[in-house]
Amino acid sequence: MGPLNNSSPLTTHVLNTGDGLPAVRMAISLHRLDPQMTLWNLITVGSTNEDGRCPGLITSDAFTPGTYKMRFETGQYWESLEQGSFYPYVEIVFTITDADQKFHLPLLLSRYSYSTYRGS
Amino acid sequence: MNRLQLIKDHILSRERNASEPLSNGLYARVTSAIHGKNPRHFQNMAMPATQPSPLTTHVLNIAKGVPGANMTISLYRLDPVSSVWNELTTRLTNDDGRCLCLITKETFIAGVYKMHFETEKYWNALGEISFYPFVEVVFTVTDASQKYHVPLLLSRFSYSTYRGS
Repeated sequence: MGPLNNSSPLTTHVLNTGDGLPAVRMAISLHRLDPQMTLWNLITVGSTNEDGRCPGLITSDAFTPGTYKMRFETGQYWESLEQGSFYPYVEIVFTITDADQKFHLPLLLSRYSYSTYRGS
Repeated sequence: MNRLQLIKDHILSRERNASEPLSNGLYARVTSAIHGKNPRHFQNMAMPATQPSPLTTHVLNIAKGVPGANMTISLYRLDPVSSVWNELTTRLTNDDGRCLCLITKETFIAGVYKMHFETEKYWNALGEISFYPFVEVVFTVTDASQKYHVPLLLSRFSYSTYRGS
């Protein structure tokens, strides 16, 4: 067995708390704020799997201290379920000071609410 | 006192948004009434009714179990043509973690809005660090005749929001 998506130091998990299910096939993108703080550089684009996760978000080498943004295309997701939603998308901006640690950023989501936390 | 503060905030908000500042007279009179220089004069006057903002927020520091006071919040509306965020107002939450007079009924139209919460500055003022440099909640107002309550429940390493009432 070769090295799998050698666990990304940054992971996420999107849960549809309205239906009590993982949010499947939600588009996600990861961005890093450029050092001059003037724009966001796109690092990865992906979508959640059957378990609401998105493996391989970033490699350990690429994961350096800085300010990151995870953008979840929640509006599109609800539209694909033929439902409306209060939020066209969700962006979570966070600061990484120690890139040797692992960071888990879940998103618990319903049509009219969401929450996130730093997990493990 | 709350009523006077409401009016003062309303004047301050209009001053920020107007191309010319209002006369200092009205603002100064309301301010001195709030600070007790002629309270009776205003208590007995018929005050123009200030309608509550159709959009409200409430910041709660759930780590300490207190309101999130003195946090800077900015409200933006997305320009549908240029896709630019236009800043509508910037305010500080009060001691109860609320922002009075975020927007008026007249200015509150259907569209996509963004509330920007300066969470890191808030935690830094309490001598703590925060995982999130700021929190932005983007939401769609389809029916501007309704009321929208967008609270933020916050700790240093988590936050949640919902459409409330």
